[in-house]
Amino acid sequence: MSAYYYFFKMRILTTLAYRFEVFTAVASNAVMLLATVFLWKAAYRGIGSVQEVSQHQMIVYAILSVVMGAVLSVNVQDDMYYRVREGHIATDFIKPVQLLGMFLAEDLGTTVSALVNRAVPLILLASILFTPPLPVSLTAFLLFVPSLMLSFLLLWLMGAIVGMISFWVLELGNLGIVKDAIVRILSGSLIPIWFFPDWMGTVSAYLPFQYMYQTPLSIYIGKITHSQAGTALAIQAAWIAVLAFIAYAVWQRAKRVTLIQGG
Amino acid sequence: MIELSNVVKEYTVIKKKSGLSGSIKSLFKPEKTIVRGVDGISFRIEKGEMVGYLGPNGAGKSTTIKMLTGILHPTSGTVRIGGISPQENRKSVVKQLGVVFGQRTQLYWDLRLGESFELLKRIYRIDEETYQSNLEMMYEVLGIDQLINTPVRQLSLGQRMKGDLAAAMLHSPSILFLDEPTIGLDVEAKQNIRSFIREMNAKRGTTIILTTHDLDDVEQLCKRLIVINHGKVVEDGPLSELILRMAPYRLLVLDLSEMPDPQTLHHHGAELIKQEGLKLTYRFHKSDISASELISGLSAKLSVVDLGVKEPDIEDMIREMYRSSSTA
Ligand SMILES: Nc1ncnc2c1ncn2[C@@H]1O[C@H](COP(=O)(O)OP(=O)(O)OP(=O)(O)O)[C@@H](O)[C@H]1O
Ligand SMILES: [Mg+2]
Repeated sequence: MSAYYYFFKMRILTTLAYRFEVFTAVASNAVMLLATVFLWKAAYRGIGSVQEVSQHQMIVYAILSVVMGAVLSVNVQDDMYYRVREGHIATDFIKPVQLLGMFLAEDLGTTVSALVNRAVPLILLASILFTPPLPVSLTAFLLFVPSLMLSFLLLWLMGAIVGMISFWVLELGNLGIVKDAIVRILSGSLIPIWFFPDWMGTVSAYLPFQYMYQTPLSIYIGKITHSQAGTALAIQAAWIAVLAFIAYAVWQRAKRVTLIQGG
Repeated sequence: MIELSNVVKEYTVIKKKSGLSGSIKSLFKPEKTIVRGVDGISFRIEKGEMVGYLGPNGAGKSTTIKMLTGILHPTSGTVRIGGISPQENRKSVVKQLGVVFGQRTQLYWDLRLGESFELLKRIYRIDEETYQSNLEMMYEVLGIDQLINTPVRQLSLGQRMKGDLAAAMLHSPSILFLDEPTIGLDVEAKQNIRSFIREMNAKRGTTIILTTHDLDDVEQLCKRLIVINHGKVVEDGPLSELILRMAPYRLLVLDLSEMPDPQTLHHHGAELIKQEGLKLTYRFHKSDISASELISGLSAKLSVVDLGVKEPDIEDMIREMYRSSSTA
């Protein structure tokens, strides 16, 4: 059993052990869930559909977006920043492991345990209060799953790249917040891009962000056809290749400039 | 084995100006200053040596260790461990290194001590047999078998340090770097850790490089000292030789029964350095005169009721080395 698998496994065990943290996280996600669903209900009042998306589809989109946000755990950015800032990165570098692999294994562990302890309660809650967030078809669901995995990788690589910047600038705090805000808006996690003006849709098609949330969610609710979904998956994969390359290049440099804080 | 030649490490420090306008200014035009943490260090350490790496605060000890372990890249000069650069071949070099930073732990905060060990077993790909026998040995020498199920964050400082030492030795490294391994520990724990270090060196031939501010550590552990100050090596040699050279004198303290005649105080082999009422302190060099010669010479002239000889002190020696290198 490799070290990365052990990181993954232990992360699942430790996150499952922190019950209170789970409780507060689910509670805050539940608030988000209520707020967005009520907002969409109000927005759709008296309107049948917008851009061929019905109110029901939109509500499923909103519910699933909150669930995705709660499940896909990307802590690499904050972890890296924290470890550089506190000087713990020194003890990571003295071990013969790939640091990024370790962070990825841990985030995967958190994500897997979040499927159990966050997704399940949120989906149950949504089903009771609103509607069970079911996919439009089985095929859609089967396309959604790989797309979701690619979304995770995209989000993760983005977080890793921003986190690595802490090797140069320790005042990362604001940069991380800016990035998170951009992802929130441009990924379609709050409001799908099709509600924005056309030019934004055009620009956004050439940026990686909408492939992080909107793509899997659109597949799930049937906003895009199966063949369009195939293309979307390919674009996701291409962005992963680009970001992975950037991450690798930045990482090679970051290692050289390591500054270790403290004696 | 371990080789540094002309190693320099410069840190770029960005000066923060105070006040709002100051911080805006430094945002756009940061004022950089360069600090030399290490300023041209060269030395060689052979396999199986036990070396004390000493120097006052800020001398550059930790910086050197971080370069030797591949964490930091030197600004110039070369670092080699077994002929390989730890910067270029980090993963292959760190496999043979054990490192303990007294100030921070390499154990995993969220895991139990035993789980941390299990993780290290996988990170270093230690085979089951070696792992078990090493673990057994750590239990025996450090007495940590009771702690194996305790979460790392619940360990006391001394317990954690023992855990860290065990963690550093699990993969049977050939070199062990210890950066202040006894900092903040009680007398008992210090003794445990010292005997552990001695044992690793004696039984396994582990090369040990130790930085410390604890002089008992130095006295009990280090056969050779490398002393640095302001990023430069100021002394390098066997402990006994350095003591002889830097602090070659002994002190003789005499208690008298009556006030002495000032004329009788002089002795050709020693120097009177202190006189407080009936208490006299002489300083003499080992090589000039023996203690018994001096005592008999002085007691012939003075009414001595009690006496004591103080051996050259490692503390005096270190103080002398730091002092002379600071003024130079
Ligand atoms: N991350 C850093 N950024 C800037 N300067 C640093 C940094 N780390 C160390 N220095 C500077 O480099 C010099 C050497 O520091 P180092 O930590 O190597 O000292 P040390 O010998 O370990 O001291 P101590 O006995 O206090 O642990 C000091 O002047 C310190 O201020
Ligand atoms: Mg130090």
